[in-house]
Amino acid sequence: MARRELTELWRDGRLLLAGGLMLLLLATAFAVGWQQQRAIDGERQAAQALDYDAWIAQDERHPHDAAHQGMHAFKPLPPTAIVDPGITPYVGSTIWLQAHRQSELRFRPAQDATGLQRFGNLSVAWVLQVLGPLLVIVLGFNAFAGEREQGTLRLTSSLGVRPRQLLAGKALALAAALAACLLPALLLAAGALAMQGGWDAVLRLGLLALGYALYLGIAVLGVLAVSALVPSTRLALVVLLALWIGGVTLAPRVASDLAREVHPSPSRQAFNQQMDDELEQAYRRAWRAQLGTDKRWGAELPLNRWGIALKIDDEAGYAVADQHFSRLWDSFARQQRLQEWAGLAVPLLALRGWSMGVAGTDFAAHRHFSVAAEAQRRLMQDLISHDLVEHADPLGDRHFSYQAGKNLWARVPRFHYHPIGAAAALRDNVASLFVLGLALAAAAVLAGWAVGVRKP
Amino acid sequence: MLQTLALSKQFGATRALDAVSLTVEPGEIYCLLGANGAGKTTLVNVFLNFVDPSDGQALVDGLDVTREPLATKQRLAYIPEQVMLYGALSGLENLRYFAALATGRQAARAELLGLLAQAGLDATAADRRVSTYSKGMRQKVGIAIALAKNAKALLLDEPTSGLDPKAAAEFAQLLRDARDRGVAVLTTTHDLFHAKQNGTRIGIMRAGRLVAELRSEELSHADLEALYLEHMK
Repeated sequence: MARRELTELWRDGRLLLAGGLMLLLLATAFAVGWQQQRAIDGERQAAQALDYDAWIAQDERHPHDAAHQGMHAFKPLPPTAIVDPGITPYVGSTIWLQAHRQSELRFRPAQDATGLQRFGNLSVAWVLQVLGPLLVIVLGFNAFAGEREQGTLRLTSSLGVRPRQLLAGKALALAAALAACLLPALLLAAGALAMQGGWDAVLRLGLLALGYALYLGIAVLGVLAVSALVPSTRLALVVLLALWIGGVTLAPRVASDLAREVHPSPSRQAFNQQMDDELEQAYRRAWRAQLGTDKRWGAELPLNRWGIALKIDDEAGYAVADQHFSRLWDSFARQQRLQEWAGLAVPLLALRGWSMGVAGTDFAAHRHFSVAAEAQRRLMQDLISHDLVEHADPLGDRHFSYQAGKNLWARVPRFHYHPIGAAAALRDNVASLFVLGLALAAAAVLAGWAVGVRKP
Repeated sequence: MLQTLALSKQFGATRALDAVSLTVEPGEIYCLLGANGAGKTTLVNVFLNFVDPSDGQALVDGLDVTREPLATKQRLAYIPEQVMLYGALSGLENLRYFAALATGRQAARAELLGLLAQAGLDATAADRRVSTYSKGMRQKVGIAIALAKNAKALLLDEPTSGLDPKAAAEFAQLLRDARDRGVAVLTTTHDLFHAKQNGTRIGIMRAGRLVAELRSEELSHADLEALYLEHMK
């Protein structure tokens, strides 16, 4: 049955045209992603090395000045970003590790995007997420409706074929047609990623493929259900295109707004304001308790205690910043989870979460990097404060004339970042996979019901 | 083999079938006559479970068609007025596909060609796409499918309308062959001559009701025509 369907798809040229176009798009998207990933990741690795060289090459100077110059941490781009860049274009790539306060990542690619960037956003993930269902619609909208119009459904049915059997045959045919279009792309990607990122990347690609297979499976069963339910091919096409537009453009927008409504996150300004206020209070409390004054960096504090003061000041800030950033990031994470569960109705949402998650380009990965970068900053701070405490000047007025040298700079290690591993990414995103599986089961039940509703 | 018991079907305000009871035994050709809209096609559709009856029962081999639609369809072969096939496939490919669905096994090419020859399709046409076929040729593929299925009962809905006289005669011969093998044949037709020539029994329908039932050997063609026109008044 499936073989007959495929022969027909092949002979009427639809498979070749639509599938070929899809493959071409995927190859283009992959090539663009590949080139960008290599260029960007190369740049960032080089920058990371240069930045450390600049740190090491500092002349003798006051350590706190050095801390103000600070270091930079450049977020590496995982090889799987070729497939799904996730939120990469919308979040910063570089963080300044400097004295006193935790920064956010800067330099978002979307910030200085030109028209060309739109083409740059043509990712494999976008093609599959948005155009994948469209391909299924083009191949499958007439599966039942067309045969009903043609009259072949009557003949088939008169032979005593179970409607479900017919459904299975058609689903198999669509799946095989999709596989013919997409497997070459998958193999290409597997080869490229194996070169670029080794086993971890290939494992991630396998997980990505699993997610997309479930997603397209949902599309196949959904398209067949609609095709079986509506009386004509024309109506089938209209209904399916309406669902497609709603599912890939409107629903994700609505879902993200809804998620923000349910789990509100503060605006940047409100966040900064509140954190500043609380930091100020924490600093004052710590100063009063441990240094006996609540005027920070005032004349009351002898200069030979400024080293210890820096240490106390920093440490008072750590907890407050942790608390604020956790709260903010947790609210983003909750919004994301909510959207993934909305994937039951709009599978794209669950797939998007899964895809970014296992590609290592989602917010969790971003957060993981931010935390690692902050740990590096605190390491630098603590080393410098400690050095200042050790070298507190006995005279009481030479605090600013102390100069540290290369020994101290070299004690701050290079920043090495280890991203979340594939296994951990799988564990963190298993809920999205579960949602996709559930949606697939629901689509199967729907399609099974739909084929029995209308008489041939 | 084929039986209806007080079968009725209501479509909105119109009564397409009104308490129709008839029986077709194995080895019989039952010709159902009647004007357009008399309910003949609806009757066939009920047997195929394409239409649910409002009242009464239709039985195939003693099985109720609404309760066991699959089992009853497996005992039937159906040839509609227009045999609809997949245009992008050849006649042979269509036959192979439908025969496989009907019987659950893949038939060899020689066997399929044999069936097509038996149905009277020119051997050179077997590998051409069905979109190039005439109505008669499609009809013959339909017959070959029915032959492949080797069913106990044949349901035919105006199978000879639009066929040229030679094709119609060949078709009638195939029906008689089936009858001789003990197949129960129920066919609707407008063709009185065909009904008289080939039918074992003839039923006349009007406005959903079976108004007359007779054995064809009991009357001449002229009698039948007179009787038919009498009922159509």
